[in-house]
Amino acid sequence: MSRQAQNEYRPGVCGGFVAVGVALLSVVLWTGRPVRAAVQPETSTSADYASPIEVLLSPDGARLYVLCQQSDGVRVLNAVSFAVIKNIAVGRVPRGLSLSPKGDKLFVTNAWDDTISVIDTEALEVIHTWPVGAEPSSVLENLSEKHLFVANRISNDIAVLDAQTGVEEKRLVAGRGASYLALSPDGSRIYVTHVYPKIVPRRTGLENRLPPESEITVIDAERAVVVDRVPLPAIAGVFHVALSADGHLGVAAEYHPRNLLPLAHVEHGGAFTYSLELFGADVGKTPVEVPLDELNRYASQPFGVAIMPDKSRIYVTCGGSEIVTVIDVPRLLRFIHTHNGPFAQDLSASANYVVTRIPVGLNPRGLAFSRDGRRLFVANRLNDTVSVIDTRINRVASTITLTGSTTSPSPLPREDDLTIASSVVDGKSTCSKCHGDGRTQSQYAPTPEDLQNLVDEHKERMVPSLASSGSKTISPLRRGEEIFYTSRFSFQGQIGCASCHIDSTFDGVQWNLEPDGFGRNTVDNKLLEGIVDTEPYKWTGTNPNIPTECGPRTEKYFWRSENYDERMLTDLAVYVRSLAPRPNRWRQANGELTSAQERGKVLFERAVDKFKKPIPESNRCSSCHSGPKGTNQNIFDVGTRKPNDNTGLLKAPMLTNIALTAPYLHDGSARSLEEIWTIYNQDDKHGRTNDLTKDELNDLIEYLRTR
Amino acid sequence: MKGLARVMAIAAPFALMLVCGFAPEPVRSPAEDIIVTAAPVYEPLAALRGEERFSKGAQLLAIHEGKAEPLVTGFAATADANISFDATTVLFTGKQRSGDPWQIWELTLANHSVRKVVDTATDAVRPLYLPGGRIAWAERSPWGFRLESAEDGHSPPTAPLNPTASGKLPLTYAHASAFPSEVLADGRILFEAGFPLGTGATPELYVVYADGSGVESVRCDHDKARWGGTQLANGDVVFTHGGSLARFTSPLAHESPIVAPRAEYDGTISETASGTWLVSTRASAGAHYALKLWKPGTAALRTLLAQTSEDIVEPVLVATRTTPKRHPSGLHDWSYANLLALDSRLSREGDLRVEPASVRLETQDAEGRAVVTGTAPVESDGSFFVQTPADKPIRFALLDKKGAVLRQEHGWFWIRRGEQRYCTGCHTGPERTSENRLPAVLLRTTIPADLTGDKNPREVQHRTSGGN
Repeated sequence: MSRQAQNEYRPGVCGGFVAVGVALLSVVLWTGRPVRAAVQPETSTSADYASPIEVLLSPDGARLYVLCQQSDGVRVLNAVSFAVIKNIAVGRVPRGLSLSPKGDKLFVTNAWDDTISVIDTEALEVIHTWPVGAEPSSVLENLSEKHLFVANRISNDIAVLDAQTGVEEKRLVAGRGASYLALSPDGSRIYVTHVYPKIVPRRTGLENRLPPESEITVIDAERAVVVDRVPLPAIAGVFHVALSADGHLGVAAEYHPRNLLPLAHVEHGGAFTYSLELFGADVGKTPVEVPLDELNRYASQPFGVAIMPDKSRIYVTCGGSEIVTVIDVPRLLRFIHTHNGPFAQDLSASANYVVTRIPVGLNPRGLAFSRDGRRLFVANRLNDTVSVIDTRINRVASTITLTGSTTSPSPLPREDDLTIASSVVDGKSTCSKCHGDGRTQSQYAPTPEDLQNLVDEHKERMVPSLASSGSKTISPLRRGEEIFYTSRFSFQGQIGCASCHIDSTFDGVQWNLEPDGFGRNTVDNKLLEGIVDTEPYKWTGTNPNIPTECGPRTEKYFWRSENYDERMLTDLAVYVRSLAPRPNRWRQANGELTSAQERGKVLFERAVDKFKKPIPESNRCSSCHSGPKGTNQNIFDVGTRKPNDNTGLLKAPMLTNIALTAPYLHDGSARSLEEIWTIYNQDDKHGRTNDLTKDELNDLIEYLRTR
Repeated sequence: MKGLARVMAIAAPFALMLVCGFAPEPVRSPAEDIIVTAAPVYEPLAALRGEERFSKGAQLLAIHEGKAEPLVTGFAATADANISFDATTVLFTGKQRSGDPWQIWELTLANHSVRKVVDTATDAVRPLYLPGGRIAWAERSPWGFRLESAEDGHSPPTAPLNPTASGKLPLTYAHASAFPSEVLADGRILFEAGFPLGTGATPELYVVYADGSGVESVRCDHDKARWGGTQLANGDVVFTHGGSLARFTSPLAHESPIVAPRAEYDGTISETASGTWLVSTRASAGAHYALKLWKPGTAALRTLLAQTSEDIVEPVLVATRTTPKRHPSGLHDWSYANLLALDSRLSREGDLRVEPASVRLETQDAEGRAVVTGTAPVESDGSFFVQTPADKPIRFALLDKKGAVLRQEHGWFWIRRGEQRYCTGCHTGPERTSENRLPAVLLRTTIPADLTGDKNPREVQHRTSGGN
């Protein structure tokens, strides 16, 4: 069908569409629902690593299913011998894994394909691949096997599918970044958590800045309707959620940022409290937040949560701290019922309920118990291992090693690679191939060409992993990813890059960085994907390249502790540069623009306004936001300076996947793309837009969403 | 026969334990050499009064395979050994002639060469290796001892401390004697001083970053007479509480006791790779300290070295150890400091119920007299934001509307030049984090009230070149 035919007015069909539209509107109240991901090959990393992110045991305990995010597959292992039974290929960047109530089907969400894979657990074959919403992150089937619920991170909703046919029945509005689901043991409720906070109320400066807030969305699993939204004040990102076997205790892992305070130091929980949200009958009417951190040691980036079948203990993976935190449930409940909260400000609270912290592999994520609760399997995403914890002694009893791609074994290191690597380990390195001029880290400022050369030069090299064994070698790209996710470089291990760049993206939170002045220069955290070749960095454009951004300044003003060495900094830069944009959901699969997007493109590129007056080149959208990434990389004052800003001169930000990253402007003051122009562009300094009608502005936004 | 049966009955379980491998593991001597200080007279807390710890001299001994010999020759007195992280060199304090002041020296273990590291006109004692090619020590000052630091002289500094690019950098700025104990794994320097700082005499443990910023007490359950801290591999800090041992552990906001054999313990311990501790103990105040080996959890101390006429103290193992994290100083190039109090009403001693109207800042002049530098308003949420004098003792007092003192800090602290910090409250303790809330003072102004006491107000600088 041609675009022209699509645009023809057809009253009969239109009336039907209106009726369906009204019906849908009652369920979904979101104007910016994206279209499906275009199928385009975009890979950011090699498939040499498995990157296990979730684990599950079959109901009979015989099989261990391991979801391997980087090798795009489910590894099926014998749960006793850990021998591989089969590798099942699924879609791109799989993220969520669940079993049907009977255990006969395994569901996988393919985050970059916007599909779910349905696997027959007897045949171990994918039997269906069904389309869902944007960036599906987890999936559950209800007990009656009538509905499948899929949490879509980008479209901020829950898709309800017919569990037999895969046909989408409706969408339920969730919070922002809907990502993880848990079914109550009686099958009546589904609990949904969100990795990004809600968009905060409109503000113009400091005066009404509020802490982030998230929610747990509660769904009636049979009727497939939202029945409650439990507010989580002060919480930005929430990850796994679990229910006890009796259904009386719910637990979710979460980040509690301190973004409204200057990031002047990280001691005393200066950047985050990492905590658990407790809810359910055991807790009372109001959820209770309990910290996992201690005075001098943090439980950075909590992700996976599992409650022992007998409800005696809770296990929490902490991705940045590379530990599993073990909590005594009776002590925890006694504590919250005998002490006055709130507890989030008390770093000594965890002494009342944390039993131990078990060191595991790098970036531990999903975890699952054996049926008897004696073994706990932990997916160590950046180790390519699964730790098997003996819960009777709370120690790692064995470690299952997963290889990456079955067709692409890791290359063996060459002798000179190992020489270079070992010279780095002693902390006195100057990698002769990159740093032959003897520059120190603070002097190291490679050009984009330098870095691309490094990527090319080092992609076949092998370097020591951060893993404690020390004997394992990996690619520099992989080590860059390890560095990105670990919190070991920050003071007392409180934060890592991934604390704010969740899953290498952003966190939807605005921060006040200390060197700019207390209460000054509030900045919105930006998306990292696709930032390569968009230097300078930082909103004010004062950091010339990624190593500068991630190197000495990060050491001084974020970690407040000794940084990685030069070689690791290069690896980190290589990793950050490798972060390719995820598929743009607003582009059509055929690459063509919709008519609204076409109209918006014309407005974006126009040189004359509606009154036939020429628009100065410096005030055209397409001038500052030129090029493939939508930035000419120059500094402008577009009239968005707030009273607490030190400057109005800001670098034109890239437009890549801009639809995802609300709120907008340097300080996050615009809640939507529309507000950039309807509220913050009264003088037409941020492009000539005040001559546009609302429909025209909508067209412009439709086009921007395709960038 | 009956007696034999009784003996058998007692001995059998022990024999069975031995056969089954349940015998208590014997406490073994460490394989590594040990260095100790031997002194006829040792008064561990004398330095906090600015007095001599080793009034009748001291000598470093190296214990090799159970035999103790002088570590260095050619010195009238030596003490305070500290092993480099790679275990190749030893810092110590020494006097070449008995009338000399104590100075800091370094011994290279491979060839026993000795070089002077710190040359001062007054006593320089208790040297510690810092990461990043620096060292710290205590130097005699009008107020007792002051912590100083400098490059170690081995190689060009990898990370000069901002704003002092080279040379000596004082780390303590109170009118109080401060004495270093340990460099913690997180890079902070543990030191002992009287509590309240600058006014009290009860030994207490404090921490400070390697650029002198961020000073605070380790825990706020004060008045315990704590001194001589050592960090264990697990992160706990073991110290002497009175004469017994106690520890700080990460989860707890207060010290926890260590159940150890009855004795009087000296502050510094040393942990071996197998987890046993080298400790200096004595039976009572009149006796001498001896070097003992103790396995935590066991009931017995095993003597490694005892001298009838000398104290054997400050044991250190000659072994490699993990290098602590280097502190990358983020101090700005300012002559002053900024301090934001988020809610000055909050305190461990009980939150203030009366709303403070203003805050008064005091510093001390050269003679130690309190001098008021100014007052600033306190917002209704208890917040205030002030610019303070840097590198001087300061303390705050909260005042009511009539100017009467509602609450005043007991002791003094300091804030480094170019330092910007915020406090959760007034003495809230390290366990209390801040509520994620914009303080009212920053809604009113982001320019701190000038309490530097300078007559000419300076322009407030907000930016550091290069961004962050």
